[in-house]
Amino acid sequence: MKTYYYSLLQPILFLPQITNADMNPVTNGALKSKKTSKKPEYSRFTQQELPAWKPILTPGWVITSFLAIAFLFIPIGLVSLFASERVVEIVYRYDQDCVPEMYRGNVSAYIRNSLTNKTCIGNITVPKKMDPPIFVYYQLDNFYQNHRRYVKSRSDKQLRSAAYESSTKECEPEARFNKSGDPVPIVPCGLIAWSLFNDTYNLIKKDKVLNINKKGIAWKSDTKVKFGSNVYPKNFQSNDLIGGGKLNESIPLSKQEDLIVWMRTAALPTFRKLYGKINTSLEAHDTITVVLENNYNTYSFGGQKKLVLSTTSWIGGKNDFLGIAYLTVGGICLFMALNFILLYVFKPRPLGDPSYLSWNRKAVN
Amino acid sequence: MSLDDAQIVNVNNPQQPSSPDTTLQRHVLDLGSKRSRDSERYSSISMSHREINDGDARLVHVNDALKTNERFEFAGNSIKTAKYSLFSFLPRNLFEQFHRVAYIYFLIIAILNQLPQLAVFGRGASILPLSFVLLVTAVKDAYEDWRRHRSDRIENNRMASVLVSDRFQQKKWKDIQVGEIIRFSADDTIPCDTVLLSTSDPTGVAYIQTINLDGESNLKTRYAKQETLCKTPEKDVINGFIKCEKPNRNIYGFMATMEIDGKHLSLGPSNIVLRGCVLKNTNWAVGVAVYCGRETKAMLNSSGAPSKRSRLETRMNREIILLSVFLVALCMAVSVCAGVWLKRHENELEVLQFYRKKDYSEPEVENYNYSGIGMEIFFTFLMSVIVFQIMIPISLYISMELVRVGQAYFMIRDNKMYDETSNSRFQCRALNINEDLGQIKYVFSDKTGTLTENKMEFKYASIFGVDYSGEKTNFEGEQRGYSIQVNGQVWRPKMKVEVDKELLELSKDGNNTEAGKHIYDFFLALAACNTIVPIVVDTPDPAEKLVDYQGESPDEQALVYAAAAYGFMLMERTSGHIVIDIQGERQRFNVLGMHEFDSDRKRMSVILGFPDGSVKVIVKGADNSMFNIIDKTLNLDILKATEGHLQSYSSIGLRTLVVGMRELGVPEFERWQSSYETASTAVMGRVALLRKVAINLENNLEIVGASAIEDRLQKGVPEAIESLRKADMKVWVLTGDKQETAISIGYSSRLLTSNMHQVVINSNSKMSSKTSLEDALITCRNFLVPGGSDGNTTSVALIIDGTSLVYILDTELEEQLFELASNCAVVLCCRVAPLQKAGIVALIKKRTDDMTLAIGDGANDVSMIQMADVGIGISGQEGRQAVMASDFAMGQFRFLVPLLLVHGHWNYHRMGYMILYNFYRNAVFVLVLFWYVLFTGFTLTTAITEWSSVLYSILYTSVPTIVVAILDKDSSRRSLMAYPQLYGAGQRHESYNSTLFWLTIADTLWQSIVVFYVPLFAYWKSDIDGSSLGDLWTLAVVFLVNIHLAMDVIRWTWVSHASIWGSIIATCICVVIIDVIPVLPGYWAIFDLASKGSFWVCLLGMSIAAVVPRFGVKMFIQHCKPSDIQIAREADKFGSSMELARQEIELNPSRR
Repeated sequence: MKTYYYSLLQPILFLPQITNADMNPVTNGALKSKKTSKKPEYSRFTQQELPAWKPILTPGWVITSFLAIAFLFIPIGLVSLFASERVVEIVYRYDQDCVPEMYRGNVSAYIRNSLTNKTCIGNITVPKKMDPPIFVYYQLDNFYQNHRRYVKSRSDKQLRSAAYESSTKECEPEARFNKSGDPVPIVPCGLIAWSLFNDTYNLIKKDKVLNINKKGIAWKSDTKVKFGSNVYPKNFQSNDLIGGGKLNESIPLSKQEDLIVWMRTAALPTFRKLYGKINTSLEAHDTITVVLENNYNTYSFGGQKKLVLSTTSWIGGKNDFLGIAYLTVGGICLFMALNFILLYVFKPRPLGDPSYLSWNRKAVN
Repeated sequence: MSLDDAQIVNVNNPQQPSSPDTTLQRHVLDLGSKRSRDSERYSSISMSHREINDGDARLVHVNDALKTNERFEFAGNSIKTAKYSLFSFLPRNLFEQFHRVAYIYFLIIAILNQLPQLAVFGRGASILPLSFVLLVTAVKDAYEDWRRHRSDRIENNRMASVLVSDRFQQKKWKDIQVGEIIRFSADDTIPCDTVLLSTSDPTGVAYIQTINLDGESNLKTRYAKQETLCKTPEKDVINGFIKCEKPNRNIYGFMATMEIDGKHLSLGPSNIVLRGCVLKNTNWAVGVAVYCGRETKAMLNSSGAPSKRSRLETRMNREIILLSVFLVALCMAVSVCAGVWLKRHENELEVLQFYRKKDYSEPEVENYNYSGIGMEIFFTFLMSVIVFQIMIPISLYISMELVRVGQAYFMIRDNKMYDETSNSRFQCRALNINEDLGQIKYVFSDKTGTLTENKMEFKYASIFGVDYSGEKTNFEGEQRGYSIQVNGQVWRPKMKVEVDKELLELSKDGNNTEAGKHIYDFFLALAACNTIVPIVVDTPDPAEKLVDYQGESPDEQALVYAAAAYGFMLMERTSGHIVIDIQGERQRFNVLGMHEFDSDRKRMSVILGFPDGSVKVIVKGADNSMFNIIDKTLNLDILKATEGHLQSYSSIGLRTLVVGMRELGVPEFERWQSSYETASTAVMGRVALLRKVAINLENNLEIVGASAIEDRLQKGVPEAIESLRKADMKVWVLTGDKQETAISIGYSSRLLTSNMHQVVINSNSKMSSKTSLEDALITCRNFLVPGGSDGNTTSVALIIDGTSLVYILDTELEEQLFELASNCAVVLCCRVAPLQKAGIVALIKKRTDDMTLAIGDGANDVSMIQMADVGIGISGQEGRQAVMASDFAMGQFRFLVPLLLVHGHWNYHRMGYMILYNFYRNAVFVLVLFWYVLFTGFTLTTAITEWSSVLYSILYTSVPTIVVAILDKDSSRRSLMAYPQLYGAGQRHESYNSTLFWLTIADTLWQSIVVFYVPLFAYWKSDIDGSSLGDLWTLAVVFLVNIHLAMDVIRWTWVSHASIWGSIIATCICVVIIDVIPVLPGYWAIFDLASKGSFWVCLLGMSIAAVVPRFGVKMFIQHCKPSDIQIAREADKFGSSMELARQEIELNPSRR
């Protein structure tokens, strides 16, 4: 038996093949009677002679391209690095310090117990002058907000409109609350909402409370379109196991900006989320007292919690990587350009020199 | 599937155990003429079929369709070529589509994805790619089927005149039944396979044109049996039945017996007219239908082109297996890591709700989606297969088909491969092996009709030992050739022949002189001993008619035209007699019997009753077969002289035939006649019996003379062969001609040159073959060792004949022949039989990896064409047998040069590049996904949206690769034609090899690392969300792969610009569209992302940093180790005169 290789495009129209048409003298006769020449019509397209640009990278072009990359990348690198340098960033890790001594052996018991006092006080020093707006972030390390099952556990339909309140299919296992034997939908459902971050921060500078503006921390598109203004939290955190923060049931989801920020799941296991903005400037060497409520359980999986105060630049937060990367690539290209110059000077090859053709080289040898 | 089988039937099944007798017969080759080939077709076919026995027979009662088809087992005449009906379309079409492994893979992945445990993509996204491809194919199939339905309808509703209750009535074709009597008029198309009963010709001849069946345009004769001729179906009751073979696809064979009025008649292929043929030059014919509808030979033969798999694709499949290994390795890595991760966090699973072990809302403890580490690992493995599925570039197979269609389009449309004389374009019959054309190393060529035009011209004659090869005169000026007067009209032959003046004068003398007598015999023999049918054609001048000699063999045509030019004009042929006008005097000869040509005897004979009552047998055939049966006791010196003449004719490349004659005495004639009649009505073994009768008759002949016919070389053949040889292809010529003819053609086609050493092997036994092979090898080695001479080694040409090959092929000597042949620059095989041609191709194919190409035009080349990697048919004088078996078909041998050097080279380069690029393109995407998985707790989250993942290979990056693979040209046609050596790139696998594959993989790894890790580090510890980062990666990968492609494009036409930049724009648009759908989690992400500077800095940095190494390496290689193509390109662009410089080097080899 022959292997049967079914060819998708075999019988396409213009390909000659014995088809029925060939066997039918009627159709054949009709073709014959025209007696047309089958000579293919000339066109630049069919003869594959379309006008074309045929760049050949001569030594000049090669060196120019490397130099161009170098001269583009090095300045961008410097500018990025400079921008990153200007960003002032304060990182304050509190997850370990904020556990009272007596609970250090059994953190889990401390954090799960709703009766223990979670308030914790710490101090941070401003290293350099920080101009407003100063962004207040919380940073979680080793928190897999991009875990497949976690990411999927949400219902965008439900968040958007009250009409879809009960579309909670994707939200398992936090889809429904068993209210006296009658399962009712949880709004907002799913693990993401359930695990809402609920530490709170108060910053005090020289006995004066620094106002943290929590308005406008979420994307405008989210508050306007994605989260419905007629959707109110219902049955949230009513199950026995409580994952995180609770929501005020009288405020619509579109106004719950902390939730909206949290629901934009982070891409990477170490991430920051915007907590608020400070609109006053902080001077160098200012000491700021942080009064926080350490409610959120990252201890069970070894996660870290940090409070971050940072200014920003056009490139974002403090990150030297892009600047260094650009400088490296630019440097390498400069180096390559020099090498190619040397190569072309010491080992030139005339372009199109037939003595390099393989059969000519063979003949010479 | 079907066509191939048919061809195997035609050329003796190689596996079939053959008696020593037939093996011997096989190696002796025919005249190489068309006639002989046709006869060979007939004979081999009829031999390979068993004689009918009752079980295999079909019984047809004449004019009684009901009785014939009592059991309703015979098909009606309605045909159905359409595959589907309205209801069967969906299931059947799907069934056929899923014959492709690729689709099965798609399907399994899609099904896996539907399992709730493994649902990686949403329903829609997972089914989209498969359904898209299925839909496109289904629409195309439906359209084609609709066309078939339409043409079926037209065909089935045509009208034919059928005998119904003793009157001929019009009836639709589809209603015709087996056993019915049908009447055809001139120019009617035959509706079904029909046995002729009577025709308008009193002798029962009907002429048919079979162009729809086999493409041959000349008229063929078919005969009604004498016994049925006189019957008029309307009046006489025809009582009888026909017993014939079961329907089969052999259009050259038919075997039946007819019993009519108690008489037993035998029927053969000449008594049947097949569906699709057209009745010509005959006013009417009546026949009885024996095969109808799908059982007709025409329908049984309608099948598709052969399908082969290209070498490149075979090599590619090896790399696909490697990619599968990579895929499995990636999936293993992910699943093992996932297992380790679960193990380490086993105690925390309770907190991570998605692996919750305990449900606190219920009193009893319940598992949620957690099936233990073992199962989780297994599920992760399957899920990662789904996520990484495009690592195996399934879309590549579809792209390759599209690309091949595009390439075929350009090959077909190429003006330079259009043949004016036959008005034929290049044809791509096989669609899977375009790229093989770029890697050919061996070219096996037929001679007659392939290298030569197969337009025969009578040149010289040797008549009874006298050579007439004097000066030729063309009568164009004085007399316009020979003509005769018939009823006040002037009849002249259609073709003019140059004549020898002396011979012309002598021939006019008639029987008066001794020389004149011999000349009379000679030309009479030429005019009589053939199967040519003269057809009188009108000219604009009513007083003038042209006689057109129609026949199946160009050699015979040439001989009959020559006889006519010397005053022996064949005027009429019926089955019983011929009329020849001899120098103005019309004479009627009775044709008492004819033994047709077959390749065993290699001669034909007629038994002619002369007007004076004497009977002579005239035999014409190849010289070696004729000398065996010529009476050597008579005229020995004349025999010697003739042999000498033959030698000299063939040494200048002419085809020779020898004519002999003998008078039959009455007893001998009667003996022959009775045995001839017995044989020709025999039901069992008719062919063998007839051959025996012929052999008994054809002996002790008296030599009459020999003819020499020229077959001119086709235009451009020497140049083409030179180009092919420069391109380092080995050209082998396999011909049925004599050694001298073959050698002379070798010289005139520049295959052989004067500085070549010729090694000739002519052996008659195994031992002598062995010794000559060994001697030849030693000679060959001596020549190949450069004996201190100036590098200008003479090359060796091997000339070997069919007889020696009998002892060499399929024995242990093959190995030596191969070694010898591979050391020779040129190999000429003469006197080879069709099967030996295939054997020689197989000799090379079995032992090397090099690609072979066979080119031929006749039925005798079919086996070779099918054996070679690439088979090319010349659509010329010899019908369509070769074309039907070929992968590509064209009009002229010289088109081989643009086909291989230009299109083949381009196709190979394009396809090779496209495969590598597709590997790269998919792997880079998969690797980006893979790196991300390492940062998600090994849970196969994709930051890139599922829609982008699916659209990546369908929309974002597919068009440019296809466009580039169809349109890009790595070198111009001009350079490729001028420097055939550039073809070496394909022979050396320069565009696709494992080094390139591994380089590509390394490059892919680097590029994926850049694309993934630059944003990772840039956005580490930032508030970026998954969708935004996913969008960045999507755009970065698409930008990158398109820039990568742009870097490799050599020729930028507007189409390439549009496709490359267009895909980037299309991707951006798609990403934006996906991000404005509010119910997707990534709503508005791209806008937020693009408003920040870091995004743009990242994108630019990634795109450049990823391609810098590739660019650097490419430029370095280009400078230090430039490929030939590269230099040709530079020379092309900068116009430095390669030609001059090259000569300089040749003159001055000691430079450097």
